[in-house]
Amino acid sequence: MGQTLITGLATGGIYALLAVGIVLVFKGSRVLNFAQGEMGTFGLFIAFWLIERQNLPWIVGALGAIVVVAGIGFAFERIVVRNMGDAPRLSVAVATIGLLLLLFALELKIFGPSPQILPGPISGLGIKVAGFFVSPTQILALLTAIGLGIALATFLKRTDFGLGVLAASQDPGATRLVGVPLARVSAFTWALAGGVSAMAALLIEPTVGIFAAGFMTGLFVRGLAAALIGGLTSLPGAFVGGVVVGIVEAFIQQRYVQSTFPGIGSVAVMVVIVLVLLVRPQGLWGKAAV
Amino acid sequence: MTDITGWPYESGRGFNFRFTKRKLIALACIAASIAVPPLLFRSTPFLPSHIALNIAVGVSFILMALSLNVLLGYAGQISLGHGAFLGVGAFASGLLTSKPQLPVLVGLLVAAVVGALFALVLGVPALRLRGLYLAVTTIAFAFMMEESLFRWEPLTGGSAGLELPRPLAGTFAFSQHADYLAFLLVFLVGFWLFDQNITRTKIGRAFNAIRWDEKVAQGFGVPVASYKILAFVLSGALAAVAGALYGHLIGFINSESFAFKSQPNYSLLLVIIVVIGGLGSRSGVAVAALFYALLPRFLEFLQGWEMIVGAVALIDVMARHPGGIAGAVRQRAEKRGEKKARGDLSSTDDDELPKLPKLPRPAGLPERPEILTGSALLEVHDISVTFGGLKAVDEAALTVHQGQIVGLIGPNGAGKTTLFNAISGFVKPEGGSAKFLGRELMDLPPHARARLGIGRTFQQIGLTKDLSVNENFLLAQHVAADYPVPKGLLYTASAGGSERAMRKRATDAIEALGFEAFTDTPVRNLSHGQQRLVELGCVLVTAPELLLLDEPSAGMSPAAVENLGERLREIRDDLGRTVLLIEHHIPLVLDVCDYIYVLNFGKVLAHGTTEEIARQPEVIGAYFGEAVA
Amino acid sequence: MSDYLLELRDVSTGFGANTVLHGCSYHVSKGEIAGVLGLNGAGKSVSLKVVAGLLPAWSGQVFFLGEDVTKMSVEERVARGMGHVPQGRQVFPDFTVEENLRLGAYTLRRRDKSRYKSVLDGLLERFPILAERRDQLAGTMSGGQQAMLAVARGLMSEPKLLVIDEPSAGLSPVAVQELFETLKVVHETGVTILLVEQNVTFSLKVADRVHIMQRGQIVYEGIVGNLDTDKVADYLGVGRLLSKSLKASAPEPVVTR
Repeated sequence: MGQTLITGLATGGIYALLAVGIVLVFKGSRVLNFAQGEMGTFGLFIAFWLIERQNLPWIVGALGAIVVVAGIGFAFERIVVRNMGDAPRLSVAVATIGLLLLLFALELKIFGPSPQILPGPISGLGIKVAGFFVSPTQILALLTAIGLGIALATFLKRTDFGLGVLAASQDPGATRLVGVPLARVSAFTWALAGGVSAMAALLIEPTVGIFAAGFMTGLFVRGLAAALIGGLTSLPGAFVGGVVVGIVEAFIQQRYVQSTFPGIGSVAVMVVIVLVLLVRPQGLWGKAAV
Repeated sequence: MTDITGWPYESGRGFNFRFTKRKLIALACIAASIAVPPLLFRSTPFLPSHIALNIAVGVSFILMALSLNVLLGYAGQISLGHGAFLGVGAFASGLLTSKPQLPVLVGLLVAAVVGALFALVLGVPALRLRGLYLAVTTIAFAFMMEESLFRWEPLTGGSAGLELPRPLAGTFAFSQHADYLAFLLVFLVGFWLFDQNITRTKIGRAFNAIRWDEKVAQGFGVPVASYKILAFVLSGALAAVAGALYGHLIGFINSESFAFKSQPNYSLLLVIIVVIGGLGSRSGVAVAALFYALLPRFLEFLQGWEMIVGAVALIDVMARHPGGIAGAVRQRAEKRGEKKARGDLSSTDDDELPKLPKLPRPAGLPERPEILTGSALLEVHDISVTFGGLKAVDEAALTVHQGQIVGLIGPNGAGKTTLFNAISGFVKPEGGSAKFLGRELMDLPPHARARLGIGRTFQQIGLTKDLSVNENFLLAQHVAADYPVPKGLLYTASAGGSERAMRKRATDAIEALGFEAFTDTPVRNLSHGQQRLVELGCVLVTAPELLLLDEPSAGMSPAAVENLGERLREIRDDLGRTVLLIEHHIPLVLDVCDYIYVLNFGKVLAHGTTEEIARQPEVIGAYFGEAVA
Repeated sequence: MSDYLLELRDVSTGFGANTVLHGCSYHVSKGEIAGVLGLNGAGKSVSLKVVAGLLPAWSGQVFFLGEDVTKMSVEERVARGMGHVPQGRQVFPDFTVEENLRLGAYTLRRRDKSRYKSVLDGLLERFPILAERRDQLAGTMSGGQQAMLAVARGLMSEPKLLVIDEPSAGLSPVAVQELFETLKVVHETGVTILLVEQNVTFSLKVADRVHIMQRGQIVYEGIVGNLDTDKVADYLGVGRLLSKSLKASAPEPVVTR
């Protein structure tokens, strides 16, 4: 039971990171970023190239990946989203599908279709906590998720720019009228979302062992589920949603590991979504919509 | 149209292939040379197999895209998991045709039914969800299907998959790709005609109204919930058939065929096609579908670069033409017509308000009880509405007698529109009652109240602004379109008759307004005053007993307001209708109204005949500082 | 360039095919309270959007502090000393009063962080109701309290011009009276005010000079206390019936300069 809980929390932390990225972009530009997952995969390839091909330490590769992917987010916002101004949000979403396809195609072209292996930062069995094994990567995942959450909360609530980011999602017009540079806020939001996606990918890959183009897509959907449950406009909600999805999935999979019915974990997550939305169509912490 | 989750978009309508005679003949010839030979049980001689296959894939994509277009383009419901329906259809047909070897047509029929059922399951929760929440739920739905149902070996054969045979006609098997292409073309024609029946009847208009603004749709009597489910069901059934047809073309499907993780991801691909084609445009979507199906074949020599180029091109196209192909075509047509239109618009002076249409009550409307002049038409008692702790309407009560024009005045934020919304049914009050013709309104959903004979205008103009004037007049007659949906889908004689009658009424109304030049102009291109007139005309076209008008004079010049007053008097005296009017323009109210209610802080502060109220300017002046328009 | 604190010169603009402002011109002098009045749909709020920079002008210019700011972004104008109280107040509902005020001081804190505390304390002193509710979420306050917060937020950047868009809309007479007092206090500190209003009596009590807009143009301009009340009543669609009360509420006539 405890082992399942740990696993659930660790994967939940990853889902939370993905969900945070999704919610950030949604709050900032009112758009669903379909490339949110694949940006992370791209980051893995960058890290792979730096670590395995250039023989740099893991931390350098990881930082490089985060910076590059943040840059992709920044560039996309600047070049595409900014210029689409008042365009329908669905069209912008399709543009993000384009970004997803572009990243996927680049990965295939440059690295080929075969899966790659990227070892995690720390090897070994890990430590024993209250009788359960916790792998080092799981610890790292949990710590990163918590750490990021605290850092983000502090930044958003305590700095002027951070307040501006939160204000922009409540009322972009009024935010401009107090002099906050909305353009910079947007760009920052997308860059941050990119960085967070790369972090999530780097943390989950060691658990799976190998990765290839399209690696993060399945996780992206779980991140979506987490964001949905928490309410698409709530950052703390995204964290809670992630943990919920992680734990539910872990427990269901452990319980029904003998089941002949495949994908029972997904079904369970779907059921949770439906139940939450039935009671609150805007998610647990989301703002009551129209 | 925006909603808080930020998914506004306009329909791409306006780019529809006009089937002129010459084009029809040309198409018929092409189709004949492909179709006729296999129909005579001989294989087509000159169409090479691989080209036929490519075209067949293209046609399949068109069918799939058309199915999504009904849901996304017309009805505005965001479905990002349509791949699930394709798979459901393909597997259903596959199960029946592979081992049991039932005829393919049976498989297709069952696929349609199964698709409709799954869509029904998805459609019910969709009623409560909007925008992004709906979109994400559809993704989750598709993903769940892929990970569970599609992988279940007993049902779908798991990764080993199912083999889908080609159809058999007697001893002739459509095994050549060219023959199957002919088979597909028949379905294409069927889908196309079916889609046309949707768009030229009340069904398509209702869908478009729902997409634009559900309140406006309800106001014209459209039962929004039912039509939303209808959109899902139609789309799901069509998608299932398209998926099955595609499956039979390819011959083999397995758990990965329609998976979210596979390449191509059909769910996302279809969304791309529909958006690039231009939401709501049949032709645009077809062109985009063909493009996406055929182009990769031609670019294969690029060896991997084509994906990159394609992705960059997609991003670029979306950034520069968010409205897709149809949107771009429409924009260019509008730019050409804009100079002319600007000329027309400026020459029609707002001051010259033409007459509002005087139309008799259309046949096909439910019988109404005899109404005695002077009897109480609308009786509102004790209505209270609270928004998050704030009492917007506080035990308001009013009575409107038949044949009166009653004014409801008060400052901004007094609760007048909220009271209207409670009467219309868009807002649920705590307690209280509103009786119309003796019938309690609070039990009825908004569209049913409209059907009883209550017409409503809105502050932001209650029309589907991206549709033409003519289409809005047709939409407004929704309650008079007395044929059931299935008959509309088949466009039977009775449906056709009803449609013709409605078109005649629409033309008469537009003529009465003097707006013939604007018949096909999108409403949003008209000036505010002209839009207001169209709105009034639309509200009147089904001759409702009671009109609820929300600030009709807003944005009008003084002369236009005077004319409006004359028209209102006409509505009362010539047409014999009753009006309840929210207004800020005090002279208009004093001029035209028989009775006045003064509202502020949600309460009725004073009421009386116009003379009584006019004798006490302090009533108006003191309560809100000044009467302004 | 321009001698006034703020000047709109011959501005035309609109949405799509709809032209809302047709060669609109008005100005605000340093130290005065200027009111722009007109019917719904006349273009008052659109003109404020052009002043703020939220809506581009198709033709014409906007001058602020003598400079041509027509091409400048909203943020640049705010940094130069333009404060805003938007229509519907638009306070940040999920922020506390203090967070709202802090955000209002965004440009102040970038200029000179050390002044923030004294400006904040000064405003809280002048608006004790806000001081009481320092940690209350803005979304839970009444309309009148939000109006006060919106004005205070606009003042946090120590602006040279405060642009106020229909502040009395949706407020009870009591709240409107309080708002009036608030604005008088603000004006005494030397802030120039540009006010767009529907409530004529309120405007006449507050403003020194009024500009009346009709169909996107200024059709009348005059000093309060020296107005042709019949004309004003006509332009505002008020009706002869109520011009009497207009006359009664206007301040005593003042000899023109």
